[in-house]
Amino acid sequence: MDDLQRELGPLEDLEDDSDSSDGNSSKGKKSKLPLVNILHAETSRETGFHKSTRACLERIREALLHHRWQEAAEYMACYPQMLDDTTNGTGQQYKELIWRMSAEILHHHPNSKMEDYNNIYERMKHSGVKHFLMISLEHSFHLLHNGHIEDAKHQLSVAESWRHGKESAAQYQRMKLIHAYRSLLDYMIWCDKKLSYINTTEYPDCGENQDMNNYFRHASVNLKDILKTPGIWDPFILSYVEMLEFYEDHEEALKVLNDYAYDNTFPPNPNGHVYLYQYLKRQNTSERKLVKVLKVLHASVPSHELMLEYSSLLLQSEKKTNTQKAFGVVLEMLDFACWRSNLDVWKLLKAIIQKLQLQDDWRDSVAGKMAPRKDWWPVLHFTSFHASTDSQENPELKEVKASLTKILCPDLMLKYTA
Amino acid sequence: MTNAMDYQFPQQLFPSFYNCGPPDLVLKHGAGNWGCYEQVLPQGGSGPLSSWTFTSRHQARGETWRHTEPVPVPLMSPKNCFLWPSKPPNPLDFTKHMQNFFLDHCKDAFGCMGEILSENFEQVHREARLTRMRYGKESVYNVRSDLDMMKFKMCPRSYSSKSLDMYSALLSDVVPSVPPQLLGSLLHEELTEQRDRALFSEGATGGALAFVPFSRSGGDPQRGCLLYPGNQGLDCLNFHRVELQHRSGSSSCVDAGSSDPFSFQLKGPVRQISCVSLFNDCCVAVRSDRLCGVWRFAETDKPRLLQVVNTREVATCINVSPHVLGEILVASESGAANLWNVGRGMQKVREEDGNLYFNAKSSWRWCEFSAHPRVMVYADRTGMELTDIRESPVSSHTLFRISNTPECRRGERLILSRYLGDVHTFQHLVTTQYSAYIMDERFPCMPMLKWDHMMQSPPMFCHAVCDSASSGSAVGGARTTKVVLGSQNSQEITLLQYSGGRAEATSSRGPPRALLRPRDSLKHLPVQIPHRLDLATSRLSSPAAGLTCIQKRGGTESGGKECICILQLTEAGDIFYQTLEPELPDASRPPAAEDEPPPLKEATGSGGQTAQRLRPLDPRLVVSDTSSDEGVLGPTQGPAVPRFVAETPEREQRAPDVHSDSSSEDSEPRGRGRLPNYLGQQVIVNDDPELDRVSGLDAGEKDGEVGRAGVEETVGSSSSGRAERPTPVELSEGALVTWKRWLQKLVQKSRKKTLRPRCPQHLTVKTEDLLLPGGEARDPADEERAQSLRRDLRACMSERSLLVHGTVSAPFQAPGTVAVPDVVDTEAWRDEISHRLTISWQGEGAWRAWWEERLGLNKEEKANALRRKRRAAKEAKRATGRSLDWSGSFTSSVDYQSRLSDFSDSSGWSSAVSQGVWSDTNVHLYQPKGVLENRAATPPTTLSATQTHTPVATQPTTLSATQRHTPVATQPTTPSATQRHTPVATQPTTPSATQRHTPVATQPTTLSATQRHTPVTTPSAAQTSSSTPAPSQTPKRESMPANQRRPKRPANDYLSSLSAPQDEPSQRDGYFLDGESTMDAPAPPVAPSSSQRSLLSQAASLWSGLSPSLPVSQSSQGRPGPSQLKKKKSRMGF
Repeated sequence: MDDLQRELGPLEDLEDDSDSSDGNSSKGKKSKLPLVNILHAETSRETGFHKSTRACLERIREALLHHRWQEAAEYMACYPQMLDDTTNGTGQQYKELIWRMSAEILHHHPNSKMEDYNNIYERMKHSGVKHFLMISLEHSFHLLHNGHIEDAKHQLSVAESWRHGKESAAQYQRMKLIHAYRSLLDYMIWCDKKLSYINTTEYPDCGENQDMNNYFRHASVNLKDILKTPGIWDPFILSYVEMLEFYEDHEEALKVLNDYAYDNTFPPNPNGHVYLYQYLKRQNTSERKLVKVLKVLHASVPSHELMLEYSSLLLQSEKKTNTQKAFGVVLEMLDFACWRSNLDVWKLLKAIIQKLQLQDDWRDSVAGKMAPRKDWWPVLHFTSFHASTDSQENPELKEVKASLTKILCPDLMLKYTA
Repeated sequence: MTNAMDYQFPQQLFPSFYNCGPPDLVLKHGAGNWGCYEQVLPQGGSGPLSSWTFTSRHQARGETWRHTEPVPVPLMSPKNCFLWPSKPPNPLDFTKHMQNFFLDHCKDAFGCMGEILSENFEQVHREARLTRMRYGKESVYNVRSDLDMMKFKMCPRSYSSKSLDMYSALLSDVVPSVPPQLLGSLLHEELTEQRDRALFSEGATGGALAFVPFSRSGGDPQRGCLLYPGNQGLDCLNFHRVELQHRSGSSSCVDAGSSDPFSFQLKGPVRQISCVSLFNDCCVAVRSDRLCGVWRFAETDKPRLLQVVNTREVATCINVSPHVLGEILVASESGAANLWNVGRGMQKVREEDGNLYFNAKSSWRWCEFSAHPRVMVYADRTGMELTDIRESPVSSHTLFRISNTPECRRGERLILSRYLGDVHTFQHLVTTQYSAYIMDERFPCMPMLKWDHMMQSPPMFCHAVCDSASSGSAVGGARTTKVVLGSQNSQEITLLQYSGGRAEATSSRGPPRALLRPRDSLKHLPVQIPHRLDLATSRLSSPAAGLTCIQKRGGTESGGKECICILQLTEAGDIFYQTLEPELPDASRPPAAEDEPPPLKEATGSGGQTAQRLRPLDPRLVVSDTSSDEGVLGPTQGPAVPRFVAETPEREQRAPDVHSDSSSEDSEPRGRGRLPNYLGQQVIVNDDPELDRVSGLDAGEKDGEVGRAGVEETVGSSSSGRAERPTPVELSEGALVTWKRWLQKLVQKSRKKTLRPRCPQHLTVKTEDLLLPGGEARDPADEERAQSLRRDLRACMSERSLLVHGTVSAPFQAPGTVAVPDVVDTEAWRDEISHRLTISWQGEGAWRAWWEERLGLNKEEKANALRRKRRAAKEAKRATGRSLDWSGSFTSSVDYQSRLSDFSDSSGWSSAVSQGVWSDTNVHLYQPKGVLENRAATPPTTLSATQTHTPVATQPTTLSATQRHTPVATQPTTPSATQRHTPVATQPTTPSATQRHTPVATQPTTLSATQRHTPVTTPSAAQTSSSTPAPSQTPKRESMPANQRRPKRPANDYLSSLSAPQDEPSQRDGYFLDGESTMDAPAPPVAPSSSQRSLLSQAASLWSGLSPSLPVSQSSQGRPGPSQLKKKKSRMGF
């Protein structure tokens, strides 16, 4: 009876992918301690075969963890026989296990060849439906990693056409990724074609090239599709926008970029704002719009590189408050360790202060910005230790900083002297 | 400090889905993310197709670092500690603990009620004279004595006390001061808690080990200050200057001047040490359970305590600001996070009643600084938030959240978060029990990188080692940042490598790598004897309590090699370190593998030397270890030891008295004979010229060198098994010596204290009297002989040769040989007793049959047998002959006897059997001595083994003839006179006689010859001969057949009482033969033997009258000694 149930087990398992629940955690008293569940523990219905395969697995694991690849390979030669075992229920996790361990060993074994990889990937791919997509994707990654772009594209196309009844959420996502990566490869071929077309044709009007258009169409469908799903899609959006720009579909490009930057369901990716900013800058958009983008970026990442541009943009504008804003932006940058000894920022700060000093109430605005910092700014920037290191490493920086001490911290006696 | 380019954000990140919702992933396989790339990013661009390259998120190759030693090395000598059981307690064991409590602390458990009740008992007792109550005072006294007996651990069945049981039935719910039900439930609760704490004690998060490098340049040697807790309760904070040195051929120095650790006694165990050094000034914050303290020190300044605060709730976290010196964050179980400005007081930053994102039922809180000096990270088990404390209602946003992070697994909880400010301004490390994440503050919620660390218990300690700027030896171009994770319970250390985070996206490099654990190190060390092994194992497997790294950057100016030294603290207070060196890119496998001679050869010669020569560079952590441990030096100080450990002189002076016992324990074959070399003078112990030449560098090396020959063998053989493996990291000489000394000191430490002083488990029997006949004067000549025998034996053992007869008998050789007696013609002796004795040589069965015939005792038996036989035959006919013979053989004693005699007659067995009986008696009579002999003597084993295999077949048949002759020659006894075979009667009366009869050598000489040598006739001489191994062999060999035969004997053989007399003549035979052949022996045995004989005969006749038919079970009960003895010996023979 038990055997029958175990035989039936795989059918149920087909429906849910690796993210399905297993019995271990649900049954029994659940410990509130955050401990690791011991996998592959001894079970009651164990035969000698199970014991030896479990021991073998333990050895492989040990060897892999200690990076003893040769030893692992030797044990690995024996391990797959456990797939012959029919009493162990579904061999699903074991298949994935074997695939992962074999691939890792091949990564490090001195004698591993591409054929070995292909062998493993192909065999394990077809050994079960559940991990077909995952292994296909990894296979194509491996091919890409080794420069076999055409082969990888073929693998992805094969995986794309794969269908299996009910899809789990993970399989659905994996399928989307496969589509997206295939489209990314399409984009690369498109780039290739574009390059050769531009090089060969006297009149580079690529819009007419049917071949390129095909690739663009192929790519754009999937790229557009994956950009609707929340996630990080930096390479995809970049390639998509590049193609859109090429075909001068600015509306679509802007929409895609705006969505990517401002959609709340997406994770707060600073690159979204950066891409939008860069696109807008390429399109020679007005400074006001650029500042708006950077303002949003400043709110989330005040230490970003683009804050230099942001503050200089603010500085260029004639508005009085913008100078104060720029002052705040630069001060905030200097809060972070990575900017503290950056000469450009200090120079910018000096420039801002000089401009600020043209205003009447500059002392108030400086004091207002410096008030919350007076506890710790001197320690961060203006100790005697800083003075000595700065004068050693960057005398120019020392000069700039020293000139600002009195302005920033007027009522403190600082040891940072020029 | 930080890389100035940290402000760069990766231009492209790896694609990833952003999933929200409760995690439900359960990984079924244990392979983590082995073998997968996870995601790829295109690089290059806009060119032809071939110009594109791809980088994957998990890159297969990282830097390869190899261990310099196959084991972690202890940094300091072991201190006293409290060892907790390595296995977490089972809450269901509470009854056992209650029992222990009742026994160990009976005063506490029963004191009050006992006092009260005893008065009543007294009153009752007065009345009891009339009423004879069952529970009287006398019985109370009985109970008391019974209770006293309970202190001994005894078998509860055999030592049950009736009165005790009655009292316990009557009073069990009254007497205990704490009701057992209550105590039980409380104990169960406590044990559950203890178990949880043993499995996972969150108090230790962060780790109580830290290293502060003194010079930022990281030259050679790398100096710094190691901070660790000391003392038994880990309640002492030590600041210890250490130095990471490269040990090359000549250069090695010890910083002896400032070697004392600077220690502060605290009021509680040190849980976490957090330190930051800014501007050459170091701020150290220490968290104990309810106390937090801050120290400040610098390379030139001694540490001084700045401030201590008492927290109302248990503090769970303390972290020093990397931005502003003197700012410390403290979080406690109340959910409050405080910013502690040393000298200015606490400021509450944030307080949470519950968990951040969902109810994880955990009051553990954690807080840390981030890239911005006024933005804190506030974390609990469910996630972490960035909290801006500048605004009055603090604003916070999620940095990490269990459910929002892709591919979280079910039940995943945050274990530790660590701001990696030294590595990258914006990066944080987050560990859960399954994974390790690299988070970037600028892009919260989404991990930049995720590993499956594949550790068995959750990682609670971590240390990040930033990529050193000096590149060149890197394998894959860009350098990697290393993150070392340490778990508590299983002591695991895992090394993760990653790169990127600035212009490039973060990607992991290579799979996680498990580093060495102290608990695994015993496998690589010389084999320990069991109780030391247990001790060392339990000590070494105590949970880890902290982790830190010392990074040494390779610099061209210093010429030093780059290396990382990873230190691990255990809860026992030991610190172990292991050193990693980058593998040279050109040499795929280290050259040591090919260069080293086969390890087994090393064992015989100067293997250690070779190994040392081949390892010129050996980075080694140096601690001037003069801390107050009064441990003593072991004998085997190798070459390296004096360099590294500056010993206090008085300890060295104490060394000699330890030497004797530790050397014996250390399984050093030649340890005893040598002079200890603890004072460093040169002692030539080996004539090997090569060794001399090599060890010319260091005179002190010799001692350890030779002593370790046996040790090398074990190491070598274990390594020869993996000879072809590409990881031939051999245990170096210095490490081996360090370990040996560590283990020795550990044993010495533990000997002083026993965890649970209790009475001995069993009532002991003193054996000294049995070993040495007390006060008896010894003949100096015998003494001399015994000494020479001992010498010979030792010589044989050391040469692993056989102790041959010639050697043994040489001192006992009688002047002039005695002729072998003629073969006795049995036909010539026709009288009854001769006939009987002749028969008796055919075996006990034949002899008994003879007696039965003679006495007519078996008439009825015979008739019965006949009847049974007929019946059986009839039945057999019915059953058509299956196993007919079998039943016959069992039922008919005659049949049995005849078969037996057939058996014993065949070939040379007869002599064996008869001898067996004979020697059996001997052994039986000397049972106590035989046993002792057996223990005392460790004969050259191969000899006896071969002889047991070919017992008597090798002996010529003439031998049996000779022996058959012997009884006839003696014939002194009548059966009635010898029926005294109860152990009680004989053993006290015949000690001297019995001792004399141990037959000695078993050598290729004929047996009669051996018997001639046997009779060392004086008791004292017999005593000396018993110390030689040979005597114990003889009875075994000879008695083997008898032993085999015994189980066949019918259980209800009522004639077995007669088996006793049979023994006597043969024994006498031996005796008289002895007497005849060794008349020249120093003390003639005549007088004692005769008197004893008469005594014996009296006793025997008495016994024969009292119990004519001694049940066989009893008579055989007297023999388990010999039979066990024989079995034991045969085992020893192999």
